[in-house]
Amino acid sequence: MIAAAGRTARRRRAFTRGDRLTLALFVGVPIAVHVALVWLPAIATILLSFTYWTGIRYTDITWAGLANYENILFSTPAFWDALRNNAIWVGWFGLIATPLGVLLAYEIDRQIRGHRFYQSAYYLPVVLSLAVTGIIWNFMLRPDGFVNGIMGRDISNAVSFFGNYDINIYVIMVIASWRHIGYIMLLYLAGLKSVDPAMREAAALDGATEWETFRKVILPTMRPVNIIIVVITIIESLRAFDIIYVIYGTSAGLPILGILVFQNIAGEGASMKGAAFAVILFLLSIGPIITYLRQQFREDVR
Amino acid sequence: MATSNQPSVRQSDLGFRLSRRELLVGAAGVAGAGALLAACGGGDEAVGPLSFGARTVDESPTKQLKALVAAYEAKTGNTVTYNATESNAFQNNLSQYLQGTPDDAFQWMAGYRMQFFAQQGLLVDLSDVWDKIGDQYEESYKIASTGLDGKQYFVPQSWYPWGLHFRKSMLAELGIDPDGVGTWDDFLKMLEGMKSKDLIGFAAADKGGWEAMGTFDIINARVNGYQYHVDLMAGREKWTDPRTAEVFTYWEQLIPYMNDNVLDLEWDGAMQLLLQRKAGAMLMGSWFGGNFKEQSDADYEDLWIIPFPEINPEHKRDTIDAPIDGFCAAKNGANNDGGADFLAFAGDMEGVQAMLDTGVPMTSANKGQDTSTYDAFQTQQLAVMGEAKYITQFLDRDTRPDFAGPVVGPAFQDWFRNPKDVTKILESLQAQWDALPPLT
Repeated sequence: MIAAAGRTARRRRAFTRGDRLTLALFVGVPIAVHVALVWLPAIATILLSFTYWTGIRYTDITWAGLANYENILFSTPAFWDALRNNAIWVGWFGLIATPLGVLLAYEIDRQIRGHRFYQSAYYLPVVLSLAVTGIIWNFMLRPDGFVNGIMGRDISNAVSFFGNYDINIYVIMVIASWRHIGYIMLLYLAGLKSVDPAMREAAALDGATEWETFRKVILPTMRPVNIIIVVITIIESLRAFDIIYVIYGTSAGLPILGILVFQNIAGEGASMKGAAFAVILFLLSIGPIITYLRQQFREDVR
Repeated sequence: MATSNQPSVRQSDLGFRLSRRELLVGAAGVAGAGALLAACGGGDEAVGPLSFGARTVDESPTKQLKALVAAYEAKTGNTVTYNATESNAFQNNLSQYLQGTPDDAFQWMAGYRMQFFAQQGLLVDLSDVWDKIGDQYEESYKIASTGLDGKQYFVPQSWYPWGLHFRKSMLAELGIDPDGVGTWDDFLKMLEGMKSKDLIGFAAADKGGWEAMGTFDIINARVNGYQYHVDLMAGREKWTDPRTAEVFTYWEQLIPYMNDNVLDLEWDGAMQLLLQRKAGAMLMGSWFGGNFKEQSDADYEDLWIIPFPEINPEHKRDTIDAPIDGFCAAKNGANNDGGADFLAFAGDMEGVQAMLDTGVPMTSANKGQDTSTYDAFQTQQLAVMGEAKYITQFLDRDTRPDFAGPVVGPAFQDWFRNPKDVTKILESLQAQWDALPPLT
């Protein structure tokens, strides 16, 4: 009894009134802000996606059930176009841009000749925001832009980089990769710096080839960074918006999910179809990431 | 004048300034403060500093609007803060803008787009302003400025017709008489003539998603008539109707004469094709006269417009898209009274004259603009208007905003990619119309 009482007393002493206040402030305030600015709007969006509303008077909100989702899935061809474009985006980033960034990081880490130059050259676009990237490339590729200019073409016979539906998503992919490769390179380079050089030497002594060293030694050591890179690649591809908005505006000249959300929720045409698009985008983003992370952490536990 | 901005001064004036109408407004249940504000809406007294939101950053219209603001300031001693936003951005943000802290007066469009916001209670009732300036306008402008509740919420600034624009000199070189282009066959013959000279016949743009709507409007009106077009816009006729599909059979005939990069160009790209003599003709609203004039007076004088050719003899050339641009006052603005006062000036011939004096071409909605002072291009615009019996605003001003921008825009872009898919596209348009929420 006495011992128990003593223990409680000691525990009580461990957190004084001041401590608890500080703790409450340090934990409570960020949580309150987070809930108010992230969770409440998110929950509101989810709820509103089941309603009809023009976004102006609260009294106008009417229940719509699944109507917005039915509309998107069965009557809106732009949704499927957008899904296709976002899928290409994930595929391109996952199979081309991200591996290239990793390769570059690896080569630069090995200090190949001119690595400082490559490092700066690939890093440079990363300091620009995606919106600025869009502005720069719009200037380069639009009908009266730089590239058509040096090809001696004017707007009457300009190469249709942004308007030709067969190629424009790939044009956008090149532009987006221009920045993404450098971003991944930077992240991976930071990770590689922390790999113990002794492991590489040991692998070399055991007669491992370059590829085997990378695959069997470097890659497993880099697991935490790998997880971040996979998650970033997926998120960057799905949340894509800025570049397209700068180049095409809201006209859905190149439909992607982010633009469809904006197009249906901003401006005069606001409807909660936009909220439904946002929920779909949210589920698409969160689904693969949760699956991937759970799998990774389960392996960690094992 | 600055001291008379104080509310206390206004209040002391109130006793003998209340007119019968203002008393009625007060009796109609408007709060005391509202009546006080309404009582001070006179054109000649200071109403305090106000702000004005322009939805353009282009050179010519900015010059015009700044002249209007300067004239108002000179007359009343009020200061006006001029805020300019690029027009697409302004449009996209309008709902948020009007619900936040908007400018007291702002540039906007007549018809459905104004009525929508008036209905949501976001615009200031300008009936008092119309009592003052009403006799300077034709009835049709007042109707276009009126909300669904019968009150006015809009002051018109200018109008422009949508028609076939071309350069007189280019047609002369090709040996084409513009007055002889009256029917669809004449039109195709003209385009063929241009094509044979390696010119783009029909400059088109649709990157913005709205430019091509004008072409749809006019072909639909020519093929099926005004009533069908209006009914289609209101959902009383169907997009899947064979008559709607017929519009595309005509539109499709124009594709071979269009530039290849329709989806790469915004409206000003199509205009550049005409300005640079790469294209022979373009269907567009006449607002861009100012852009030609910026280039040179000679280019402006070379510009001409004719009505879109007749297709169905039953409907002749009796319909035209002629949107009206103008101003509204925002209810959530800091100074409703000031906004209304400024608009009373903008709608009055005095304000209109200030804009005209800049030399930027404008066809004003005000009767007071002497049409004998019109230049040749403006006179021709008037003639084109005069031939039409029915006036429509424009697709994205004549139908629901949640349909025009997000649905019709992408559908027409789709059609440019795959003109053969017209049936599928029209079915999807109708399905999306049917899926729209009921109007509240």
